[in-house]
Amino acid sequence: MQRLIDFLIENIDKLGQQTLEHIGLTFLSLLIAITLAVPGGILATRKPRLAPSLLGVAGIMQTIPSIALLGFLLPLLGIGVKPAIVALFLYALLPILRNTYTGIKEVDPAIREAAIGMGMTDWQVLTKVELPLALPVIFAGVRTATVINVGVATLAAFIGAGGLGEFIFGGIALNNNIMILAGAIPAALLAIFFDQVLGFLQNLRIRTLTRSAGLLAVGLPLLALLPFLLQLQADRLRAGMNPEFIGREDGYNNFVEIYNMEFNTVFLNSALMYKAVREGYVDVIFGYSTDGRIKAYDLMLLEDDRNAFPPYYCAPVVRQELVAQHPEVAKALNQLAGRIDNERMSALNYQVDFLKKSPELVARNFLEEEGLWRPDQAQGGETLVIASKIFTEQYILSAMFAALINGYTNFDTEVKDGLGGTKICFDALRQGEVDLYPEYTGTGLLVMLSPDKEQVAELVADEEATYEYVDRQFRRQFNIDWLQPLGFNNTYALMMRRKDAQSRGVKAISGLKGE
Amino acid sequence: MIEVQHLTKRFEAVTAVKDLSFKIDTGETLALIGTSGSGKTTTLKMINRLIEPSEGAILVEGEEVHDLPVVELRRRMGYVIQETGLFTHYTVEENVGVVPRLLGWDEERIRERVRALLEQLGLPPGQFVHSYPGQLSGGQQQRVGIARALAADPPIVLMDEPFGALDPITRGDIRRDFMELEELTSKTTILVTHDVEEAFEMADWVCLLDAGRMQQIGTPAQLLFEPANDFVVDFLSEQRLQLEMEVITLNDLLEALPASPPNGEREQSFAPSTPVRQVIAALSSVPGHTLTGRVEHEGRARYFDLAGLMQQFFQYQKKT
Repeated sequence: MQRLIDFLIENIDKLGQQTLEHIGLTFLSLLIAITLAVPGGILATRKPRLAPSLLGVAGIMQTIPSIALLGFLLPLLGIGVKPAIVALFLYALLPILRNTYTGIKEVDPAIREAAIGMGMTDWQVLTKVELPLALPVIFAGVRTATVINVGVATLAAFIGAGGLGEFIFGGIALNNNIMILAGAIPAALLAIFFDQVLGFLQNLRIRTLTRSAGLLAVGLPLLALLPFLLQLQADRLRAGMNPEFIGREDGYNNFVEIYNMEFNTVFLNSALMYKAVREGYVDVIFGYSTDGRIKAYDLMLLEDDRNAFPPYYCAPVVRQELVAQHPEVAKALNQLAGRIDNERMSALNYQVDFLKKSPELVARNFLEEEGLWRPDQAQGGETLVIASKIFTEQYILSAMFAALINGYTNFDTEVKDGLGGTKICFDALRQGEVDLYPEYTGTGLLVMLSPDKEQVAELVADEEATYEYVDRQFRRQFNIDWLQPLGFNNTYALMMRRKDAQSRGVKAISGLKGE
Repeated sequence: MIEVQHLTKRFEAVTAVKDLSFKIDTGETLALIGTSGSGKTTTLKMINRLIEPSEGAILVEGEEVHDLPVVELRRRMGYVIQETGLFTHYTVEENVGVVPRLLGWDEERIRERVRALLEQLGLPPGQFVHSYPGQLSGGQQQRVGIARALAADPPIVLMDEPFGALDPITRGDIRRDFMELEELTSKTTILVTHDVEEAFEMADWVCLLDAGRMQQIGTPAQLLFEPANDFVVDFLSEQRLQLEMEVITLNDLLEALPASPPNGEREQSFAPSTPVRQVIAALSSVPGHTLTGRVEHEGRARYFDLAGLMQQFFQYQKKT
């Protein structure tokens, strides 16, 4: 609890901004939904043949899983607020449409007949009788839509539209419950609050309700647009980052401290970041330095001239016992030492991500090019288990490790890929369920060892020191060896469109200052 | 004045109304009676064009309703339905004021008109104007419904089973208050009812329908004493006695009534046009007492008590 409060206090600005964004997303989409669904519902009551198809289409929208819907909209509308608004709008459509339709349909036929019989025009019957009588039902629909939207809007963070989902996704990525709650509790409170307010309105006398509907006509657009107006404030650069980055020790807060430079932050999941910067939705991103898309999208990495990002040199981590008993395993794997630089790794990732080659094939081609390929030496030997985390680079590396062990030792191998995050792989290794996997020095330092800040600052300035420190500490604490680094440094990196960087004349991160 | 000419309405396979013609003069009331599904409501709704006829014409003050703008036509016709159809989100005052407001009356005039009508229909305005329909009893709601139909002083009033949902006592009370409205004398009223007694009490003309065809149209007395066919006889047979008491008035019995008072207590005067039913009800209203009735005709008084009146009634009944 105390930790949650501390987190909230520490991030109060962020929280305020996210809440505003959340409200904005919810109500802007709601507003659009109301302006279309209410007339749509009315139309359905007037054209009975149209009703099933209108309600049917809106119903289908409702059944599309929200993540999938966002996925469909991305290629059409790009990244950011637009697809989020459209998705939320589609979700809000059905409850409002359906309730408008049924609300009007359920008006007592005798009342309608009396109204017509007294000489009201169609428009008068609608506005003086049907709509006022249907208003409580329509309001119930708006209320349902609002609560749905507050909930679904948390997913907007997934595609860079902001909102309270940023903390939730960040928390999930970092396995940080406090951070998850910091997003989830305010989102739940928002839902409850708006549900109560609309519930109160819904139960008012129709007379009072009709008046407050007018008030709402003014209030709702304000509520919908205010957050976006407030956001227009700064002319800072927009920086995309995944939610994990905000919560990490070596993440955004650390970056701001070291470079004394702030961005308008946009949360994006890792898969979308690169696309976002390419399309100009953001100006820079905090990406991974070996991603295949750097090459594909012609992005430029800015030099980390103040060492904000610790080195993340990749090396196989292996159970000490295995290395001691079978030095040939270490020998086989160490053949890779220093052979893969960032550009090379990035190119390998590119082949899998974009050319859709299998990681095993890419690994084999690489080994053949390097003259390291050997066919499987012996069948039926003891089996070593090689793990990998769930991303492309790890799949390629684990395939390489397997090929080398098969080719140069008598062991057989089993690759367990997609073993989830760092923690799962590491725990499996410690418990002997896994014999080796590719790990990064920065992760070892900050996640597994987490020494105090000063020591970190001292270590990260020097990649060799970091490697030596983690190797030594892992041996001592966990009985795990770090074999020789493969050569590339898959660290966080600030990157931007090459053209953009050139036109700004920026090469290093400090060069961005004042932009 | 309303004139219906060769009116026919077909709903797909069913002919609801077949070749119906009649004419009512201003100030008169026509009751459409018949069994369920006889086409009486369909006929009524064709007059205010809630239903369009398949064939035939309806003329209001000589004008073909089909040629009139439908909204204006309806605003000239008060419309009362069994379910009242009151706007539950409007107060009593707003409900009654709907048509005047549609017609653009100024607020002061609407206010006065609404209050006057409510007063006449037995709803003290001070108590009711700000109530909502949901707060009223069924009878009160129907009174509001009638007030709403009459608010803009329409020359024509259409009533579809207006008292059908009420208990007999409430029904009688409202009927009486309604019939006492002075402005009705200048209105043409068409009433749909399945209650024959109600039709006989309220209407100048009764039109009996069966399966969409008119069986007879005439005064209540004509239907009783000059039935057009067996259907008419059968239809009225069950309530014949009550209906005859409604149709036969003191006027019909005058000659047979004695000129000297019997030994009765208290005298009560009746107009010659009073139906026998009302006289009997009045004379038997004080149990244990024999009241004397008195009717004047051409300057001469005639007297009777309950027993004497009944005797004369039955003799007259036999004659006809």
